[in-house]
Amino acid sequence: MILIVLREATPEERKIFYCEEWSKKDLPDFILHTLSLREFGFDLDGSGPSHRYNQFLTVEQLADFLRSKAPYGAYSSVALYEHPSLRKGWLKSELVFDVDAKDLPLKRCKCRAGEICEICIDDARGVVAQFVETLRSDLGLREVNTVYSGRGFHIRVTDDAVMKLEGAERGQLVEYITGSVIPTDITLAFGYSRIFRERAARALDRIDEKKIEEAGLRRALAQKLVAEKEKVVAMMRSGKIGEVERIEGMGPKSFRIFLEMLAKINSELTDGKVTIDTKRILRLPSSLHSGVSRKCVLVHDIDRFSPDDAIPKFLR
Amino acid sequence: MRPQFYVSVLDPFSKEAEEIVRNSPPLDSLPGEICDRAVKRLTWRSGREMLVGSSKDEVQQEVLSFYLMCQGVASVSHPYSREVRFVSDATERTIKYRIFDLFRRGEEALCLEIVKNHLRLIKIEDDGRLGDFQIPKQDIFKLRDIRLAKDGVDLMDDRTLAQYIPRYAVRWADLSPLLKHGRAELTKLYIIKGWAVLTPRDLWDFFAGLISVRTEEYISSLYERFYSGKGAPQLFVGIGERISSLLPPEIEVERFAIKRGRLRPDFFPPCVKRCMAGVGAGVRNYAITVLLTSFLSYARISPSGKASLKISDFIDDISIITDEIAPLIFDAAERCNPPLFKDQPQEKANVFYHLGFGMTVEPKLADSGKSRWYKVPNCNKIQISAPSLCDPDETCKKIKNPLTYYYLKLAGRAGG
Repeated sequence: MILIVLREATPEERKIFYCEEWSKKDLPDFILHTLSLREFGFDLDGSGPSHRYNQFLTVEQLADFLRSKAPYGAYSSVALYEHPSLRKGWLKSELVFDVDAKDLPLKRCKCRAGEICEICIDDARGVVAQFVETLRSDLGLREVNTVYSGRGFHIRVTDDAVMKLEGAERGQLVEYITGSVIPTDITLAFGYSRIFRERAARALDRIDEKKIEEAGLRRALAQKLVAEKEKVVAMMRSGKIGEVERIEGMGPKSFRIFLEMLAKINSELTDGKVTIDTKRILRLPSSLHSGVSRKCVLVHDIDRFSPDDAIPKFLR
Repeated sequence: MRPQFYVSVLDPFSKEAEEIVRNSPPLDSLPGEICDRAVKRLTWRSGREMLVGSSKDEVQQEVLSFYLMCQGVASVSHPYSREVRFVSDATERTIKYRIFDLFRRGEEALCLEIVKNHLRLIKIEDDGRLGDFQIPKQDIFKLRDIRLAKDGVDLMDDRTLAQYIPRYAVRWADLSPLLKHGRAELTKLYIIKGWAVLTPRDLWDFFAGLISVRTEEYISSLYERFYSGKGAPQLFVGIGERISSLLPPEIEVERFAIKRGRLRPDFFPPCVKRCMAGVGAGVRNYAITVLLTSFLSYARISPSGKASLKISDFIDDISIITDEIAPLIFDAAERCNPPLFKDQPQEKANVFYHLGFGMTVEPKLADSGKSRWYKVPNCNKIQISAPSLCDPDETCKKIKNPLTYYYLKLAGRAGG
C-alpha cells in the first residue's frame, strides 16, 4: 500500500499555482459555457467556503480574482441562476454524484479515517466507472463529466433531461445508481436488477466475516460465504441467485438479511445528500485543493487516470 | 374514426380540451346538468359510467364538467387535502378505464397519439428488439410475470394476457412527474439506454397517473388564484361543498392527508421563520399581526369546505387560540427589537382582531366573527409590504402563498 502524502499548500504555493500554472483552458466546457450563470464561492484562508454569492461575467474576471486572491479553495454552484450573485432565479442544476475515496465502504487497505492511499483511489475509480457506465448505457445520458476533486471524484451530468429534476427524483436516482434497493426480481439479465447485482458483487468481493455477522447472519454461514467468496461473487454477477439461496445454511430469512446487507453497503457508495441538494457548490475543476495540494481536474479517461496527473508543479 | 376533439376525453389538458373550454360559456354560468356531472363523476364506479360517446355535445359536457369539478374543489379545499386527493384518484381511475377500453376496441393508434403528447414512446418489436438492443426472452417473461403478480392475476385468456407483455418503451426522464410524486419508482423500471420498457397495463397506469398529477397541480394553482382574489363564485363553492360531502370516511389518506393538529415549525416557510425569530422596527406590526397571526391560525386549524370563514366554525375549544396559537405569536412579538407590545400594547388586541374576535385581549368562541379572520397574505403582497421578510428557498418557487408552502411540506411532497 502506497500512502499518498497529502500536505497543505502554503499561501506562497497557492500564489505560484494561480499565477504560473492555472489556465482558463483547464476549465471544462460545461463550466465555461455557463460561467456567468453560476454562483462562485471561495475559501480564502482555509476556514471554509464562506465567501459566497460571487458572479463572474467573463472568464477573465474569474482569472483576475484567482490570481489576486490565490484562494485556499474555489467552488462553483451546480445550479444555474438568473441572478447568481443573489442565488435567486434557479434555472436548473447538474445531476451530481460524489464518490469520496476516504468514505467508501469496505476498504481493501488499512487507511485510517481521513487517510487515502492508491488503493482507496483505485476503489473510488472503480465505483465511478460503474456509475458512469450506468448513467450512459442504462439511463441513456450523454453529457457525463468526471472530475477528480483531490480526494475522490465528482460525476457531473449536464443532460437537459436531468437538470430540471428536483430532490425527490434525484433521490430515486441515487438509489438506482448505487443499487441500494432490493429489486423486485433480482434475476433479470438487464435493467436495475443487473445494476444491483454488480454493486452487490463488488461488496461481496470485499466483505469479511465480521461484517456479515454484524448484519445478523450466523457465523457458520458468514464463514462459508467468505470461504467461497469467488463462487458467490460469480453467481451474483451472472444472476444465478437460486444457487446463492441454496448455499448450505441460507434459508429464505437469512437470504433476505443477506440482500439487505448488500443494499445497505451499496447505499454508502455515494453521499446522497450531495445529489439531492440542487444548490450545492462543488470544487471548481482547474482549481487547487489546498488542503491536500492537488489539482481538481477533469478526467478524460477514468481507466487511465492517475492521481499523479493532479499533482501541481510546485510539488514536482 | 373518432373526431380529433375526442382527444380531450383522455387528456383534459390537451389543446383540443382547451379549445372546448375557450369556446364555451363561462364556467360559472353552466347549466345544472353539467354541474351535476362535475359532482357525479366522483361517484362513477362502473366502466360504462366513465365512457364518453364521440358526439361534440358529449365531449363538451365531459370536458366542462371536469373543469367545473376542479374549480369546485379548489374553491373550498386547500391543495393536498383529502378532497383534492379524492378528485385526483377518481380522475386517474376514469382515464385508466377509458384508455383500457379504447385499446380493447382496437383503437391503440389513437391512444398512442395522445400518450405521445406527454411521453416519448417507441414500440418494442415482436421479437423483443428495442432499437438495436435485443431484450432477452427470459426477461420479457419475467417482466410479464412481475406485472401479473402486481395485479394479483393468475390465469387468463390470450387477449388479456397480451396486456401484460412488454410492448412499449418510454424515456424514463419523461416519467419524472410520477417519480417526483412517488407514483413511480425508478428501481422498479426496466431501463435500457434511457428507455423504460412497459407493458400496456404499465402504460395505462403511467398515463393516467400523469393526468392525475396534472389535475392536482391545476387545482393547486386555482386554489391560489381564489385565495388571493375575491374568492370563488358561489356556483363553484356549491359544487365544492357537494364534492366534500361525498368524501367517504374510509378513503385511504395516509400519504396525503393534512390534518388539523400540532404545528410543525420545521415546515414553516422562510418568511414565517423570520417572524418567529423576531424582527426589527419597521416590519414588526406587519410580521406579527398580519403575517404570523394569520399563518399560524390557518396552519393550525386548516379550514376547508366553507367559503366565508370564522374560527368557531372549525374549533369548539378556545384553548387552541389562547394556549397554542397566541403564545407563539406573543413570544415572537417579545423577540422583536424593540419588543412589539412594549411600546404598542394595543397590538395584542389587534392580534385577536385579525383572528376574528374583535378588539379584545380575552377572546371567547362566542365572539368569533366579530371581525374578519384575516387570510394569509400572498407572497407578492409580502414582498411589497415587508420585503425583508422574504428570503425564498427552492420550495417557495412552487407556491404563491406561505400557507401552500406549509401544506406542501406537510404532505411530504416538496421535493428539493
